[in-house]
Amino acid sequence: MAKTALAVLESALRERKLDRTLTTALPPLEQPADACAQTGIDAVDACLRNGVPRGQLSELTGPRSSGCTTLLLRMIAAATQRGELAAIVDTFDRLDVASLAAAGADLSRVLWIRGQAGGPPDWAIDRALKALNLVLQAGGFGLVPIDLADVPARTLRAIPFTTWLRVQRAVEGRDTACLLMSPEPVARSAGGLTLTLTGRTAWTGTAARPRVSGAELKMRVVSPRRRVEGEVALQSYVAAGL
Amino acid sequence: MFGALYAAAGSDPAVLIDIAREFSPRIDVCGPREITLDVGGLARLFGAPREIASELRRTAADRGQQVRVAIAGSRTAARLLVRHRAGITIVEPGDDTATLASLPLELLLAVRGSGSSDPDDQDAEICASFRRWGLRTLGEVAALPPADVAARLGQAGVQWQRLARGEDPAPLVPSVPEERFEQALDLEWPIEGLEPLSFVLGRLMEPLSAHLERRDRGAAVLHVRLHLVSKIVHERSLELPAPMRDPRTLRTLVLLDLESHPPLAAIDRVVVAVDPTPARVLQYSLLTRPLPSPEQVSTLMARLNALVGDGRCGSPALVDSWRPGAFAMSPFAPVDEKGGGEGREGREGREGREGGEGGEGRTLVVALRRYRFAVPARVQVENGQPVRVTTERRGITGGRIEKAAGPWRTSGEWWLADGGTDSPWDRDEWDVTVSDGATYRLYRERDANAWFIDGVLD
Repeated sequence: MAKTALAVLESALRERKLDRTLTTALPPLEQPADACAQTGIDAVDACLRNGVPRGQLSELTGPRSSGCTTLLLRMIAAATQRGELAAIVDTFDRLDVASLAAAGADLSRVLWIRGQAGGPPDWAIDRALKALNLVLQAGGFGLVPIDLADVPARTLRAIPFTTWLRVQRAVEGRDTACLLMSPEPVARSAGGLTLTLTGRTAWTGTAARPRVSGAELKMRVVSPRRRVEGEVALQSYVAAGL
Repeated sequence: MFGALYAAAGSDPAVLIDIAREFSPRIDVCGPREITLDVGGLARLFGAPREIASELRRTAADRGQQVRVAIAGSRTAARLLVRHRAGITIVEPGDDTATLASLPLELLLAVRGSGSSDPDDQDAEICASFRRWGLRTLGEVAALPPADVAARLGQAGVQWQRLARGEDPAPLVPSVPEERFEQALDLEWPIEGLEPLSFVLGRLMEPLSAHLERRDRGAAVLHVRLHLVSKIVHERSLELPAPMRDPRTLRTLVLLDLESHPPLAAIDRVVVAVDPTPARVLQYSLLTRPLPSPEQVSTLMARLNALVGDGRCGSPALVDSWRPGAFAMSPFAPVDEKGGGEGREGREGREGREGGEGGEGRTLVVALRRYRFAVPARVQVENGQPVRVTTERRGITGGRIEKAAGPWRTSGEWWLADGGTDSPWDRDEWDVTVSDGATYRLYRERDANAWFIDGVLD
């Protein structure tokens, strides 16, 4: 009798996708290649054990000029080069199309949802989250990042934590890797990764005529359940004409 | 057996077609005044062939049309006879060749030309050849040895000879009537708002989609006409990116469009019509990740447009301009590329990375986060170099400039007299790293001597 009741309970949990978050053991360290969205950078992929997990909400955090956008555009480019679709929810309309093209993205495979540059941030964030939800529910996208990098920290912390749980539920079980770009970690998804970047602009040239040559980046990985830890040093370069 | 109708000049082709359809669904419209129809099986309804022909003439006369009728064993024989003889002509089965034998040779030009008045050059040449050989009737052409005709005139000559014998060049392919894919509903009580309308649309879309499915068609354009109580007709037309017929998708698209363009009064009558197009044939692959279907993409785009506004979602595109930050939006319509799925930019990007950073083989390119509306800034300049930047915009700290590179002068579109939609630009750009480590791109408008923050290198 007790066994039957337990089986019924487990079945109900499985149906509602609650079994993984409550009872499943830690996922294996080695994931199959198609369970992750590769970033397109060998060192990062090696550190992340194949890339950012699909069906999970991961985070890309860091202050200004830390290289978050650089890494994000590279990941979009890698997704489109694999033949996948990518959708970017651009909360404050900050995307520079030339930078995206320079990163190597196939622009025809990118869906760009532009928020409003002006106006109150709460309103823009609300619309961006609704747009993110629509894209995740539609499915078919390999990578769906949402750009909240310019949201003030106070406003970001004021977003209810249940928002991120809902996003996590929307993406769970799908082939989509959802990515949240923000100045500090807020979602703290159990199955996702948190990539924290710090960076320093690299200069070259003479003292009289200096110029920006790129950036020296450091990426630290935090993953509560996948037990992926590590730090990667990266170097970025300024593309011609940017 | 086949019948042919040949109407007098000035007759209405549409009425003629209607008359023929009343007798048989298998009709072939040979020209504006000529129709052939399969009369096989009509004997049980009308009787002998002569009675069928009489009934056809009587029906046409009732509609104000004067027609000749011929019934023969083949369509070609019926067509030749109806053009030559007035009134009713009936040929018993097997007598086609003998009946046609006395008809003049020139009749074949009309049959070969499918009703057009100008025969093509080859037919005119063959007709002239037969006349030079002293042949005047179809019987004389039919009696020639086929091998010799083929040797002298080729396959076209052989086809002429077959027609002269009354043989059909091809089986009858019935003309299909042009179908209207339309559903309408008169409402007992006027409705207001989209929620009750969604139920009405659902009721109309279901039979419309079933009709499209039966005919293996999809909707290319969806027309919605809402007759309002104010006697105004609110019309909307949606051009669909791909043929589709899923009723739920069509209903959602209409509702999302009406959310942006609502009717101004209550609705009396709803009419939904589609322009049909051949349905899509999809071949899925086991090896590549499937793209979302056009129905999913259309619905998603309609929802996003309703949320963020028209023109604010789509695929980014580069434009041929030196204007900083220039871009264009194109409709998001991903194509399933067979064998790789790598676009031009992707290939170029990958080629650009070849031989890049040693060891990694894949290079990161610094990205710019661009402020779509440049942020006004106050910049302190010493010895021609910016040394401090501040702004009133919240979230941008500014501060003392640690390092600066520039100026890089750029200008353009000063040659456009009217300025176009965008104004000319003339500015000096600087890349500066401030004390908190952030690297901004500043520029100074040379005309106004005003400073702005264009973006941040991230």
